Amino acid sequence: MSETMTWFAPDRTAADPAELPPLAPAGPPAVASAAPVLSVGSPATARLLLADAWLSLVGPAVPAGGPGAGLTESAIAHLARLGPRPPGTRALVDLVERVGLTGHGGAHGPVALKWRAVLRGTGPLTLVANGAESEPVSAKDGTLMRQRPHLVLDGMALAAEALGARRVVVWLHGDDDGARAAIEHALAERRHLPGADLPVEVVSGPSHYLSGESNAIARAIAGGPALPTLRRFPGPGEPSTVVQNVETLARLALVARGLVPTTVLATVLTPTGRRVVEVERTVRVADLLTGVGWSLGPPPQAVLVGGYGGTWIAWSQVADLRMDPEDFRAAGFALGAGVVVPLPPGACGVTETAAMTAYLASMSAHQCGPCLFGLPALAGSLELLASGRAPAGELARLHADVRAVEGRGACRHPDGATRLIASAVGVFADHLADHAEGRPCQSVPRSVFPMPQEQR
Amino acid sequence: MSRRVVQGAVLRVDPLLCEGVGLCARIAADAIDLDRWGYPVVGPLEPGALAQARRAVKACPRRALWVEEPAAR
Repeated sequence: MSETMTWFAPDRTAADPAELPPLAPAGPPAVASAAPVLSVGSPATARLLLADAWLSLVGPAVPAGGPGAGLTESAIAHLARLGPRPPGTRALVDLVERVGLTGHGGAHGPVALKWRAVLRGTGPLTLVANGAESEPVSAKDGTLMRQRPHLVLDGMALAAEALGARRVVVWLHGDDDGARAAIEHALAERRHLPGADLPVEVVSGPSHYLSGESNAIARAIAGGPALPTLRRFPGPGEPSTVVQNVETLARLALVARGLVPTTVLATVLTPTGRRVVEVERTVRVADLLTGVGWSLGPPPQAVLVGGYGGTWIAWSQVADLRMDPEDFRAAGFALGAGVVVPLPPGACGVTETAAMTAYLASMSAHQCGPCLFGLPALAGSLELLASGRAPAGELARLHADVRAVEGRGACRHPDGATRLIASAVGVFADHLADHAEGRPCQSVPRSVFPMPQEQR
Repeated sequence: MSRRVVQGAVLRVDPLLCEGVGLCARIAADAIDLDRWGYPVVGPLEPGALAQARRAVKACPRRALWVEEPAAR
């Protein structure tokens, strides 16, 4: 099925060759050449975006090891690898449409669609590169900014030129000092290069889960609080903001040069830490896990895909899916921002879901009633069910509350929680019934998934 | 509220403004249910509930409600 999709078939003729620098990078990629060929599958030369990095279980994407640890591509190395960026013109809108570039913040919406809506606006435009990666496990954006800041900045400049943005902002989590340092260093390097980018502001927002939400960013950039608000289209002449994920912009920088990556970035949680990898979209989930060291025991019972606001998928359904947003969508799932969290042997999916829901409840912006009251109610029900102390009817109450919360916030935060719970109810149905009838798991740790420090 | 009424008016709430006062559900009992936390559950309006819903919109102390009419032809 995927063979018919332009996204998977890199079509280098899609770009006008006359406008493009040579397709082949000058020499082997500076960063990827340091990476051994992993069992996950992609040859080192195919890694246009990043080299594998090993990270701690939680927190900003500070590398602890792996071929990509400590690597930051300099402006010189970046230019030697890819050549200078072409100018950003309106033709870029058609190009991103032809290659099927989608948003890599998790929603995978077509970039061209978003851009055409932006271009209908007549007011001053602000372009935001969103590097505030809020899913506790996800670290691909932080890793990308540390390793290839110039790719992100090229993409920003291209998008800003193509859309006619007046203001260009890199938006980061307040605690991500490493990303800020890499971006600021890269900006300083670029001042000595020919070519004129718009001046870039680097803004560190709060470190809250919701400070990466695009409406919250738009509000903060306009001088308000970094809190989500209702989606609303700007009137004629009103200022507007377009938010693009940093990986999307890095891909744009490649696409504009006629290089269409056939890979995805994934963050995999292992018992010892996170692995950020760039893998071919043809790699199966089972092989991805093997590649990062999950081959040692029996397969996991289920895999959480998309992060703590993502969905559980039973191993039998997920093992053969390819790391491909379209493959997931065709199967009725979503790959999101590429977070893959296997349920370790001996852990309990109900207990983990309860812990994640409590985390999501704590990360509510406390603005909308159904989220403010609904998420703690859901977390409370799950906690009772996980412990096996739930009164009769608690499972029915959980179902009713999921329905009561779904779609009723100003932002999608509560929907992440209800989606997570709905998937858990499906994947762990028998197990959950045992819990509900007072037969919880014996000798199961409270929760094995890492949780960030409370940041409110 | 899951019943779809094609081409009809839809009652909407801004969840950021709504504080769960609950006046609306008293005025427009046919159009609005409250969830168990006291917040209105709104949606497509039966033609018979439209007048009630409009009264609820006017009565909302937080100005959180509005009726979305189908585009005039």
